[in-house]
Amino acid sequence: MKNRKKKVLFFDYSLLFVVLVLIIFGLVMIYSTSSYEANLEYKDAAYYLKKQLFATVLGIVVMVLLARIDYRFWEKFAIWGIIISAILIVLVKSPLGRTVNGASRWIYIGSLSIQPAEVAKIAVILFMASILSRIGKKGIQKFKGIVTVLILPIIIAGMVYALTQNLSSAIIIAGIAIVMWFVASPDYKKFVILLTLVVIVAAVGIYLAHSDILGFRGERIKAWLDPEAYASGTGFQTLQALYAIGSGGLFGKGIGQSLQKLGFIPEAQNDMIFSIICEELGLAGAIAVLVLFIILIWRCMVIANNAQDLFGALLVTGVMAHFAIQVILNVAVVTNTIPNTGITLPFISYGGTSMLFLLAEIGLVLSVGRGISFEEPNE
Amino acid sequence: MEHFIRNQISNRKKAFVFFVASLLLFAILMGRLFYLCVICSGYYTKEAQELHERERAIKAARGIIYDCNGVVLATNQAVCTISVIHSQVEDKEAVIACLTKELSLSEEYVTRRVEKYTSIEKVKSNVPKEIGDRIRKYNLKGIKVDEDYKRYYPYDELASKVIGFTGGDNQGIIGLEVEYESYLKGTDGTILAMTDARGVELRLEGERRIEPIAGDDLYISIDRNIQQYATQLALQAMETKEADGVSIIVMNPVNGEILAMVDVPEFNLNEPFTLTDSQISSEIIQDELNKMWRNGCINDTYEPGSTFKIITAAAALEEGVVTVNDSFYCPGYVVVEDRRIRCHKTTGHGSEDFVTATMNSCNPVFITVGLRLGAKVFYNYFEKFGLFEKTGIDLPGEAGTIMHKLENIGMVELATVAFGQSFQVTPIQLLSTAAMIVNGGTRITPHLGVKAVDSITGEVTTFQYQTTENVLSRETSETMQYILEKVVSEGTGKNGAVEGYSIGGKTATSQTLPRGSGRYIASYIGFTPADNPELIAIAIVENPKGVYYGGQVAAPIIRQLFENILPYLDRKDYN
Repeated sequence: MKNRKKKVLFFDYSLLFVVLVLIIFGLVMIYSTSSYEANLEYKDAAYYLKKQLFATVLGIVVMVLLARIDYRFWEKFAIWGIIISAILIVLVKSPLGRTVNGASRWIYIGSLSIQPAEVAKIAVILFMASILSRIGKKGIQKFKGIVTVLILPIIIAGMVYALTQNLSSAIIIAGIAIVMWFVASPDYKKFVILLTLVVIVAAVGIYLAHSDILGFRGERIKAWLDPEAYASGTGFQTLQALYAIGSGGLFGKGIGQSLQKLGFIPEAQNDMIFSIICEELGLAGAIAVLVLFIILIWRCMVIANNAQDLFGALLVTGVMAHFAIQVILNVAVVTNTIPNTGITLPFISYGGTSMLFLLAEIGLVLSVGRGISFEEPNE
Repeated sequence: MEHFIRNQISNRKKAFVFFVASLLLFAILMGRLFYLCVICSGYYTKEAQELHERERAIKAARGIIYDCNGVVLATNQAVCTISVIHSQVEDKEAVIACLTKELSLSEEYVTRRVEKYTSIEKVKSNVPKEIGDRIRKYNLKGIKVDEDYKRYYPYDELASKVIGFTGGDNQGIIGLEVEYESYLKGTDGTILAMTDARGVELRLEGERRIEPIAGDDLYISIDRNIQQYATQLALQAMETKEADGVSIIVMNPVNGEILAMVDVPEFNLNEPFTLTDSQISSEIIQDELNKMWRNGCINDTYEPGSTFKIITAAAALEEGVVTVNDSFYCPGYVVVEDRRIRCHKTTGHGSEDFVTATMNSCNPVFITVGLRLGAKVFYNYFEKFGLFEKTGIDLPGEAGTIMHKLENIGMVELATVAFGQSFQVTPIQLLSTAAMIVNGGTRITPHLGVKAVDSITGEVTTFQYQTTENVLSRETSETMQYILEKVVSEGTGKNGAVEGYSIGGKTATSQTLPRGSGRYIASYIGFTPADNPELIAIAIVENPKGVYYGGQVAAPIIRQLFENILPYLDRKDYN
């Protein structure tokens, strides 16, 4: 152990810096987007800011702790993570669960609210990293191996979709699992076929919705294709977001100057916060935010590719996939590039559980990063 | 811990592939953002602005109406419009109490307005400014007091049927107010206030104001003094003769400018919806109001009677079927086909020439002359004189002439038309045609509007009216001047004479339908100076009691009018 400690020469400060910048920017934007409505509803402009600040401080503590603990310690809890998230998801339907806006996504323990889907994401990352590094390159190419690896994440994703009516979280969980499987497997062919299938299904879905075969279930897709025709219903949020983005122009109206946040975009601090960033800071601000996320993902890739072992590499890959998928989907929804589904923007959208677990994930990445030595051991 | 196997080259490659794929998607999203933020920015900015802004209209001040001397006949008064904004109301009870008390409205009505969930709800318009200011002092959230204008007529009843009045939205309803709407109206301004999604105005964002543009001022040919005096005379005649109504029109026969147009009883322009006598049920109120607003000078037709002999004489002289020296014999009647039509002097006028016959207003002579003309020729003259067209006066609702069809005119009809019966014209039509006959033969368009002046640029629009020269030969016109002067100086129009002025004129007494009802219309057309008319006037007294002859009832009205206004006009010209 002593020998290894001497090798600890690296700590990814650039990743930490990017994360802190995103967190601080996120807090500013939460105050900007929520203060007007918070003042009207709770007579406290900083109502949402305070709650988010609490989750952030807690998250930073967790991150620092996790960064200091050897990530390999968590490997043996991989299956427990899956079990715990499954229990939490089921609890949503128990008296502990609470239904907000027709979807039961939270459970309450005392005054603390937890979103089980956020727990499931980190659990799936941990589980996938563990099982993939155990099964090895040979095992993953067999059908039995693929089933062994994917069966539990798919069950979890299915539970998230079925029990918490949270399609977007289910998609993210499945997406993380597939990306980790892709990185662990030396094969390409399967994934090209899978991607082609997804594209075909999407195209057929759009066609069916467009020609009214799907009925009301296709409305979300139709509202996506022509939000102005559904301005008073399904397309409302999307259209309001487009107004916000479009009225931002190149450099925006200036921070705090958004008008769309004044109730036009309901709960602007949540999923649609990126549209307010566009309105207040313009194209320039929006691209700057995206560049920060690209740096974050890039640092993850660098750490993954220099990790000491496959478990660490896959752990970081999972986090990287989580960030990449969630940011891309969020911005795609906000800009009406894909049909509307509720996805938050990591580190920026309001949400305590999400903030806590995202910071935990960064803690894991930093922990993997600490293991990197400058001297590459010979292959 | 031996299962912690090393990361392999293939894993690194794949992580890189995923990173590049993500980068590609990020690039696509940035492209999409560029499209939305830059290419579509104009469209979305405009849409968003429309969403955020709430419009409130600022009424434009309506143009002022001036008489020919620059006296204000119609102007604007500052008033307030009181509205409530549902989402801003904090103390509902106080708001309801305040509005109920200050606007003297029923509590139920106010409650309904206040509770209605609209962005802005009008409670009452045309509220006097003092009350608006009082409501402002309550300082209650959710009550909006907007400055506004209300039409105000300084002379109440003066020329009410000519000027007309405006409705709740300051739009013209009758008279010149509606005829010149496009000039007087102006362009409303708007206050564009930024609001949040609930419709609450954002104080910090400020207001965008588009200032209203006041309407053009209208200058009309009415002379307030003459109008006032004519109104007095009309009212006096109506009272002493217990008449149903009296109409007076005073016009410049050369250019058609109307100096006064009176049709008593008039009504108060500031309270146009208050009936003069109000003992009627609600169903017929609108009918009664319409009747009250009706301008008899142009909206109604009547049988002109002997004043129409001016036209018969002019047509006959022009056609050459009669000369001033032709002699006639009136036995007190004339037989047309199987009908015996009596002269008003049943003993007969005896021997007389055409001038004397006109002075006597002798029916048999005019019947003879009419028959000499024949229906077709007579009819052609009506057409040429413009009797079948409307005069084109700049007031709404002018009535047309009601005349037999040519093919239906037999000898009897022709005979009655010749002395002004069995058909109907409007007073303005008769006066305009008479003006043409005595002004040298030029058909003019009677009118009131002279010019409109833009309230901002001062740009003047002078209205042009059609005139047609040589409708009648100058020679015939001069003959008519001579004959009609004789009517006043020595004939039935003696009561129209004014000392010191040469006056021409013609009286008329027509029995209204049905005949034998004992209802008459006494009228008189007078003009001056007789040999070169500068002023022409008509007085029509409807259903006078007692003496009902035009010469006794109507001619004195115009005489008194002329006695007063001629010196006044002379002075004006001198100045």
